[in-house]
Amino acid sequence: MARILLADDSETILLLLRTRLEMEGHEVDAAIDGQEVVEKVAAAPDPHDILLLDAMMPRKSGIDALRELRAGGVDTPALIVSAHTEGGNGDDHAGLGIDGYITKPIDFDALFARIAELTGG
Amino acid sequence: MRNAATLPVASSPIGSQAYSRGRFRLSPSLANRLTIGFAIAFAVLTGLAVIGVARFLQQRQDFEDATARSYQREIDARNRLAQGRNPAAARAAVISQQRRRQVLRDEISSETRDTALLVGAGLIAGLTGAALLFTGLIASMRRPLEDLVDASGRLAGGDLEARVAVGGLAETATLGSAFNEMAEELQRRAGERDQLERMKDEFVLTASHELRSPLTSVQGFAELLLLERDRLSPKQAETAEVILDNTRHLVRLLNDLLDLARSDAGRLAIRPEPAAPGELIEEAVRTMRAQIDARGQRLELEIEPDLPEIEADRDRIRQVLVNLLTNANEYCPQGAKIGVQARRLAAEVEIDVSDDGPGIPAQQLEHIFERFTRGDAGETQRVGGTGLGLAISKSLVELHGGRIEAESSPGGGSTFRVRLPAAIDSTHPAVDGHSPAEAS
Repeated sequence: MARILLADDSETILLLLRTRLEMEGHEVDAAIDGQEVVEKVAAAPDPHDILLLDAMMPRKSGIDALRELRAGGVDTPALIVSAHTEGGNGDDHAGLGIDGYITKPIDFDALFARIAELTGG
Repeated sequence: MRNAATLPVASSPIGSQAYSRGRFRLSPSLANRLTIGFAIAFAVLTGLAVIGVARFLQQRQDFEDATARSYQREIDARNRLAQGRNPAAARAAVISQQRRRQVLRDEISSETRDTALLVGAGLIAGLTGAALLFTGLIASMRRPLEDLVDASGRLAGGDLEARVAVGGLAETATLGSAFNEMAEELQRRAGERDQLERMKDEFVLTASHELRSPLTSVQGFAELLLLERDRLSPKQAETAEVILDNTRHLVRLLNDLLDLARSDAGRLAIRPEPAAPGELIEEAVRTMRAQIDARGQRLELEIEPDLPEIEADRDRIRQVLVNLLTNANEYCPQGAKIGVQARRLAAEVEIDVSDDGPGIPAQQLEHIFERFTRGDAGETQRVGGTGLGLAISKSLVELHGGRIEAESSPGGGSTFRVRLPAAIDSTHPAVDGHSPAEAS
């Protein structure tokens, strides 16, 4: 199963995502903002399999964290969670290597399916 | 609809071109000064002429008096001559009086000539002055009035920046100031109204965005509870399902409100691409299949073969079709028949969603595409819609350059007809909402 780095500024959403992902058998590492994402990626002994980042977080957004990671050569697959319904501004973030947008409220079946695709099973 | 953005702002027939002729015109202030100058000159000349005529009349009177006196003296002298008194002196007096009258006549004819010249000159100067005065008056009114006509035309055509230069006569200056104040007020109110509209749109967009996070939690945790249904009592499971149903309803409502707010703000964007109508119908039917089967309703598809592709944002047209199928599903009784027909009509494709349900009363049918219009109150308890679906469907179809219509009669079922333009070719450019950029 996948090692997932999860980031959301809401503790409740973190708890929900962590619980559902762990029930699916994934290993979850959680961060409260983009800054912590960057730090956790740097500190991880083995790279994560997937980044699941909220688009908008205080201090550093998921988009900014991803931009920083990509500039540093990190190519971990990334899914962006967004409160927008418009398919997630795909054009604005070209070149960031975003592998999908997850809209709130989260369709967990679709999320699990996408994670399975990205981790090859 | 889709061409609306490219149409020029409606221009008034009183356009600016019609009144800006290239002809030389006096500036209002110069015209004003000339007018005052001419008025003074005219008054002075008229005064001189009046004095001249008065003086002439006085001289004429003096001439007539003197002539009368001279005749009297001549008659006296002739009487003396006839009586033979001092004839030499009397003869001399007669001759003297005749000479005196000759002198008086010479004098008065010279005076008459001078006065005639003076009055004639005064008259000519006066008439010229009057003409110039009139011209000056016209000139000093014409420019400001033309400016006013021009600015009114621009204002009526929607140019709230239109103002006039205040000048000319006091009256045109007052009129100009009044016009400018009116335009100022109009612009201020339009600005306030636009700002309120923007605030409303921003509020709805922000509010629906902010509500999404807590709703995500509520829905997510209710789902989590139901994942462990076997450890819940039937009452608890039912409670969790009520929470979940209502949360999903709230999410639908939120999405619909967001779509309408975007539509109002001109930010409801579509990304059309050539799409096969049959595929979109099948996708929508697949989404709705479980609900239709759950109510034991029969679904009949009649899709013409070889339909042309339509220029469609797949998600949005599917949303419209799902919405129409949802309405048919929810408003029709168990076992009803729901039909979807697709056919080619000239350069359009028509997709009909029909049912043999209870139908819509005429007074409701009129308002069926308005917000929060729903079936009669008794139905709304059971029906899960938001009352916004058809309003959004109409916006979406029209964004695609299409039309949507409803036909129904109580007891005779309902038919919703969607007509969408066929794709001209696959390189057709993408069409946006009302605004050039989607800012989300």
